[in-house]
Formats: sequence, C-alpha cells, structure tokens
Amino acid sequence: MRKSVLKFEYLLVGVFALLFLVVLPCLNAFPGPNSWLHVSDFTITLYGKYLCYAMLAISVDLLWGYTGLLSLGQALFFTLGGYMMGMYLMRMIGDLGQYHQQIPDFLVFLGWSTLPAFWKPFNHFAFAMLMAVLLPGVLSGIFGYLAFRSRIRGVYFSILTQALTYAACLLFFRNSLLLGGNNGFTDFKFVLGHDVRESATQRGLFVATAIALLGVYVFCKWLTTTKFGKVQRAIRDSENRVLFSGYSTANFKLFIFILAALIASLGGVLYVPQVGIINPGEMGTEKSLEAVVWVAVGGRGTLIGPVIGAFAVNAIKSWATRAYPDLWLIFLGTMFILVTIFMPKGIVGLPAQLRGLAKKIAAKMDGRNGEPKSVGVDAADTIQPAKSE
Amino acid sequence: MRIFPALVIVLSLVLSVHAQDEVAVRDKLAKAIVADGVDRQKMIVELGDTGSKVAREVLTAWTRDGVALYDSGSGKIPVMLEDQTDADGKSRAIRVDTGKFLVDDKKQELKFGANDLNSADTDAALRGLIQQTLDSLALSDPDPNSREAAVMKLGNSAKLKNVPVLEARLANETDAEVKKSIAEAVAMLQLGSPDPKVQISAAQSLGATKAMGSLDILNALLANKATPPDVLKAAKAAADAINSHITAVNLYGTVFRGLSLGSILLIVALGLAITFGLMGIINMAHGEMIAIGAYTTYVVQNIFGTGFAFSINLPFHFFGHPLGFGLKLPGMNATGWFYESYFLFAIPLSFGMAALAGLALERSVIRFLYRRPLESLLATWGVSLVMQQLFRMVFGANNVQVSSPRWLMGHFSLSDVSLGYNRVFVIVFAVMIVVGTWLLLTKTPLGLLIRAVMQNRDMASCMGVRTARVNMMTFAFGSGLAGLAGAFLSQIGNVGPSMGQSYIVDSFMTVVVGGVGSIVGTVYSAIGIGTSDQILQQVTGSPVTGKIVVLVCIILFLQWKPGGLFSIRSRSLD
Repeated sequence: MRKSVLKFEYLLVGVFALLFLVVLPCLNAFPGPNSWLHVSDFTITLYGKYLCYAMLAISVDLLWGYTGLLSLGQALFFTLGGYMMGMYLMRMIGDLGQYHQQIPDFLVFLGWSTLPAFWKPFNHFAFAMLMAVLLPGVLSGIFGYLAFRSRIRGVYFSILTQALTYAACLLFFRNSLLLGGNNGFTDFKFVLGHDVRESATQRGLFVATAIALLGVYVFCKWLTTTKFGKVQRAIRDSENRVLFSGYSTANFKLFIFILAALIASLGGVLYVPQVGIINPGEMGTEKSLEAVVWVAVGGRGTLIGPVIGAFAVNAIKSWATRAYPDLWLIFLGTMFILVTIFMPKGIVGLPAQLRGLAKKIAAKMDGRNGEPKSVGVDAADTIQPAKSE
Repeated sequence: MRIFPALVIVLSLVLSVHAQDEVAVRDKLAKAIVADGVDRQKMIVELGDTGSKVAREVLTAWTRDGVALYDSGSGKIPVMLEDQTDADGKSRAIRVDTGKFLVDDKKQELKFGANDLNSADTDAALRGLIQQTLDSLALSDPDPNSREAAVMKLGNSAKLKNVPVLEARLANETDAEVKKSIAEAVAMLQLGSPDPKVQISAAQSLGATKAMGSLDILNALLANKATPPDVLKAAKAAADAINSHITAVNLYGTVFRGLSLGSILLIVALGLAITFGLMGIINMAHGEMIAIGAYTTYVVQNIFGTGFAFSINLPFHFFGHPLGFGLKLPGMNATGWFYESYFLFAIPLSFGMAALAGLALERSVIRFLYRRPLESLLATWGVSLVMQQLFRMVFGANNVQVSSPRWLMGHFSLSDVSLGYNRVFVIVFAVMIVVGTWLLLTKTPLGLLIRAVMQNRDMASCMGVRTARVNMMTFAFGSGLAGLAGAFLSQIGNVGPSMGQSYIVDSFMTVVVGGVGSIVGTVYSAIGIGTSDQILQQVTGSPVTGKIVVLVCIILFLQWKPGGLFSIRSRSLD
C-alpha cells in the first residue's frame, strides 16, 4: 500500500518535471504566437511565480509537517532573499532609471547623490547570492537559537515568529532603511547581462526555478529518509521522549529552521526577477499564513503536498480575483475553514480519506442489512474502531 | 417629573435676562454710531465690559465700514446689510438698534445695493478705541475658554498699554484658570517694559508659574543683545524652569496616552487571555470581533441619527433573478442629549453582537478543533478573511465616521497635562471590566465551571460538567470583551474593515508576555506594553521604530522568562 503511494508520488514528480522542464518552455519557445500550442510569456511568468511559492511551501512543510514547528515567519526569509536579489537587480539598472543617474531612483528621490556604502558590493552577483544565504541564515540562526534554547514551542513559537515578521515588515516600510521603503524595488532591466523583459530570459529563469525546485524536493526527500529525518519526525510526535532519549532537540530544530529559511530565501531570489517587483508587503503576516494554508490544502507531512497546494490555491486565487473581485476573499476564507475541518490531510490525503469513508459506509450498510451470514468477526472489528473515533 | 417645569421657568428667566441685556446693548450701540465727540467715545468704552456678542459683531463691522446709515426723515438709523443678496444685487438691512429688518411705513422690507447708503464714519483714533473695546469685550466673553484665548492674545501683543486693560479685567474675573492666564499675560507684557526691575520680577513670576506660553517671548529676550545682564539672568532661569516643566508635561502626557492605549490593549487581550490562555484556541478572528464592536457602535449611532441601510448584489443568478441581500434600519432622528446618549446603548450592544458572533464561530468551526490548536489558527484565519470582506461589502472599504458624544469630547488639565475625557473614560472602564472578569471567574458558579474545564477538560466532563456548553459560554464571553474593546476604540481610533489586524499581533504578544492562562499577568503586560510603546515612540521619535524596539524587547524578555510574567507552575509536561 505505502509503496504504491510512493510510486505514484514519483510518477507525479516525473510528470511535473517533464512538464515544467521541457514541455512548457518548448511550447513557449517554438510554436508561433498564433499557434494553439503556444504558451504565452504571461503564463510562463505566472507558473514561474507558482514554482517559487512551491519552494516557500516546502520550507513551511519541512518545519510544520515534519518537525511540528508552525513558523509564521517563512515569508520573511523568502522576502529577504528577494531583497538581496532585488538589490543586485537595482544596481544592474545602471543609469536607465527615471533620473538617469548611477544610483537607484528612490535614492535620488531621497536626496542621495552617491551610493551608500552597504549598497556597493551588490554590483556583484556573487555577493548578492552570498548575502541571500548569509542574511536569512544568520537571522534564523540567532532567532532559532534564542527560541529553541528557552524551549519555546507550539503556539508560542508561531506567535513569536509572527511578531518577528511583523517587526521586520515595519522596518522595511521605513525609507530610512534605504531599501526603497513602501515601494520596494521594481523596474528591473538586466540579470546577469540578459534583459529581464525578453521572453528568452524569462524562459531561462523559469527553467532555473523548476530545476531549483526539483533539487529542493530531491534533497528534502533524501533528508527525510535519513536518520536525521526520523529524529525530526520523532520530535514532531513527542519531543519530550526524544529529549529524554538523549538527543539535543534544540540543535536538530535549529538546523531544520535554518535549512527552511535558506530554502525560502532561494525561492525569493528566483521570485524577484520573474515577478519584477519586491516590496515589504510580501513579508506581511498574512503572507506567511497564506503559505501555511498552501501546505494545509496540499497535505502536510508529504513533500509533494505543498507543491500541489501552492499551485492549486494560487491558481484558484488568480481565477477568483478576476472572476469575482468582491467575493474572492470569502471563497478563499471558506476554503481554508473547510479544508482545516474536513480535510486535515489535504489533497494528498484525500484518496485515503475517501477510501476510509467508503469503507465506513459499506460497513454500516452491512450492519443495517443485518444478514446473519455476514456478521463475521471481521466486520464487527472494523465497525468498532470506526464508532469510537 | 416635577423638576421639569421648574427647569423650564429657570431657562426662560435666563433667556429673558439675556434678551434685556441685548436690548440695552443694541440701544447703546445705535446711539454711539450716530453720536459724535466725547459722548461717542464714552459710550463705546462703556460697551467694553458687557461681553456681548452683538456688540462685537457690530463694532467689528463698523471698523470695516460695514455699518451704514439710513435716513428715515426723522433721524438717522444705523443698519447692517445682510451678506445674502437677491437677483438685483440688493440685500435686506438689519437695524442695529432692534436687530430686526428695516421696514418702511407699509411694513415692507427695504432692500439696498452696496453703494445705496452712506457708511457710518470712522477715523484712526476711533478705530483704535473700538479695537481696545473689542479686546475688552473678548475679555468679558461668557465662555471662559474664549476669555483665556483673548487674554493670551493680548499677552502676546507686546504692547504695554494692554496691561491696564488686563488688570481691569482681573478685578472682575471669577474663573481661576482665566485669572492665572491674566497674571501670566501681564507678566509677559511687562517683560517688554523699559524698567529692568519690572522685567526681572515679571521673569521671576513667569518662571514660578511655569507659564509655557511665555517661552517664545523669553527666548526672544534672551536672544536680544540689548537686554541688561541681570534681566538676562532672570529670563534664563525662567526659561530653564519652563523648559523642564514642558519636558515633565510631555512625559506625563505620554504616560497617560500609554495608559489609555494599554487599557484598550488590556480589554482586547483579556478576551484573548480567555479564548487563547484558558481554552488554548488561537483565534485569529479576534481582531474582527473588535471590528464588530466598533461597527455596532457605528450602526447604533446611525440608528439614533438618520438610519442605516445597505444592500449587496451578488454576481450570481437564481432562475434569472439576481441574488443579493440588504438591510434597512430606520433612524430615530434623535437630537440633543438623547442623541448624545447613543454610546451608552452601544456599549452593551457591541458586547452582545460580538458575543453572538463568537458563539456562532464556536459552534460552527472551533468545536471541531479543540484537540488541534495549531489548526484552529488556520481555520480562524479563514474566518477573519471572510469577515473582513463582509465588512468591506457592508460598510465600504474606507474608514467610517464615529462621532464621539459631546460628553466624551474635551479635556481637563492637571498642571498643564491635558487629559482627554475619552481616554479617562476608557481607563476607568477597563478597570471595571478587569474587576468584573475577575469576579466572574473567581466568585460565580460559571467561573468555577470555566476554570474546572480549562484545567482538566476530561476530569470536569467526568464530574458531570457539560463541557461543550461551558466552552461555548467562555468563547462567547471572550469575544464579547473584544467587542467592548471595539466600542471604546471607535472613540479614540479609526474604524475600518481591517482595524482588527493592527491589534492582533500586539494582543497575542500581551497574552504571551503576561503568561498564558493568567489574568493578572495579562493586566500587567498590557499596561507595560502600552506604556512602553508610547514612551519609546516619544524617545525614538518615530512610531515604527518604537514598535520594533518593543517587539524585539519582548522576544528577548521571553528568553529570560519563557513562560511569561506569571507562568503557571505545573509538574506536567506540556
């Protein structure tokens, strides 16, 4: 049973990989714009965005589904990665901005004539990438160390991460941080020498994102099958027992927290050049909650679930915001409520849930028919636990 | 009931006294305008201590050539033309002596163009005299606040000749506040005196009374190179005293605002302390319960006023009929004190509405999630999204206007620290709510049941407590408290669809810092966070930085005391 599920998952991943790595980019590149096979640039960018969200969702799931830490701060790390990439992209604009100066437009607007010192190294892509690893890594390291050391767990961990995100969000809204304030970064021109507005560049970014997501998936899949992964799940199920067995749970949790922050940051790095804008709104508390909802809808405790959830929820959101602009929040909210109450295992767990339901109904029908022949020991045994649940 | 006619009689008496005054003033005014020479000057000066509004209007108009003379044949009648003109550019004339429209023999109202009549004459000396009279008229205004403003205006005029005017008023003044201002104003004027001795004593008295309004004049004196050294010394001492007083006033004002913010936070967090602390449910829709309370206040205000109506068309059709819903509540068009009392009705109603919403939420969503607290967070967040959108559809995306009743507006000063009535009211009410909650939880049978269920649900259930019912009541009570917070918040903050969001993070922090499950802890931490938030905003000079510092401090604080201020000790592992 379990093996067949796993096989199905691998099949699904294979299909996804084929679709995103080969089929979609080819359909975007080769058929002419009028062909029915053509996939528009808009669609490519949109799916590219979903792929980045899927990475964010995996990072949430790694914490919540596998370790039992519900972090409401993953959007912060996602946005931090995005900002580092954004700073590099801002430097690449050169003097093509509105004011035609060598420094970003918002700095001109704030009255600067030379580049602030901390902006200078961002001329180099490598430095920006280094910072995209270091900044979320160090921040999550410090916060995680403080939080896990004093054994903050469960709901308190969620609330504290939410507060951290909220504080950071307020900070990034300030102009004096010299990171674009309210408007953030936008109007990018070049990434690594390629024009971001060209469809070939977008296609390249799309493939890069798909590869990154596949890499993250494979890595996490591997990680969860190792002994580390087992300890991780043991912490989720009973932290005290793990602690009493001599494992330093704080270190395990710290590692997974930093790892999740880095995965989220990677998503953010790839998100910015494709979407073309990054602002502090992306790290609002509701964004982190949204990511948690993707995981809940897709199915937590699996790695394919978050990816499915990120795609499904965002696709519904894209459709509903256009079709029912007034009502989409109500749709979305109702969906979260229903999923939480009725589908605790998400879309991935739905087949198993339906099978269980079908069995239950079948058993009940059997019992009601009251045929003396079928009242075997087996039937009675299956009914009993169902009732006590 | 019997008081009522008596009141009417007193009122009409007061009115008639005023009316008599007005007749006399008008008579004198009319005579002064047509008279000339010494008589005229004498009459104008006599008008100065009547405090009459009419006199001010007419005299002001006179200096601007707004008073005209109409020759009726038997004598000149002073009139003022109305601002409003008819189609021919003409307007009716109001008689200065009676306040009625000027009529001819057939009782027909007369109308004049702008240049039809001659203006009453004035000259520079007369205008000076009238200005002086106007000043003293302002000084004798019946409203103490207007009197104070007039006094301060004279004090800042830097004209020594105003000193006798002020001193004359001091003799008749009864209001203590105004008396103080007059003394201050006199001292301020005396600072400009040529005599250094007068200057020094004026500076000393200003420093002693810590007159904040005089700081500008003192600074000007300090900057002036011609000031004699001993005057300079006295002025410096006075300025220093006033500056340190201003710092103290600002500090106390900040603490007071922090206390009132803390009280709101307290009422919000108290609700959370019950639903989150006692029940273990993370209700992300708690903020929307606040909004329900605030919007209830808004609707009650509209029902007392012109009524409230909304209608929403859904983008769906049912057999060709468009779907939608709406509501129309008639208004009572109340005025006066009855309208002002709307807030008293709104307070219990907002508690009730939020409690009902909480009840519905508990029955429909939360009761499935008691064993899955982290998931309650997700489901209630969905509820919060739905509710915010509903608010947006019903009340509009913009903030709505909730006007404070008149008895909550205004403020009183305690040694220059101004305390708004609304903020004082909020603080007093917060204290009452905390005491009430404490009594409910510790002294009533329901409170006993609540505590039993929260401490050990299974055990309580075994003892025959209907836990489902207790859960329901507890959750409704917690939500109701949020509704109350919303009602108060509508008096000192904005009311909008996402108003709850700005409080939700703060109030969760408050509960965590106070120690989950501890009402006392919540009280301390709400006041602590509210006050330090305001103080840090003042110190760092920006609201955002202050907030960030507070949040970082909270995270560090939890390192030191992970269980919050008052953590409940227990041998059980969580």
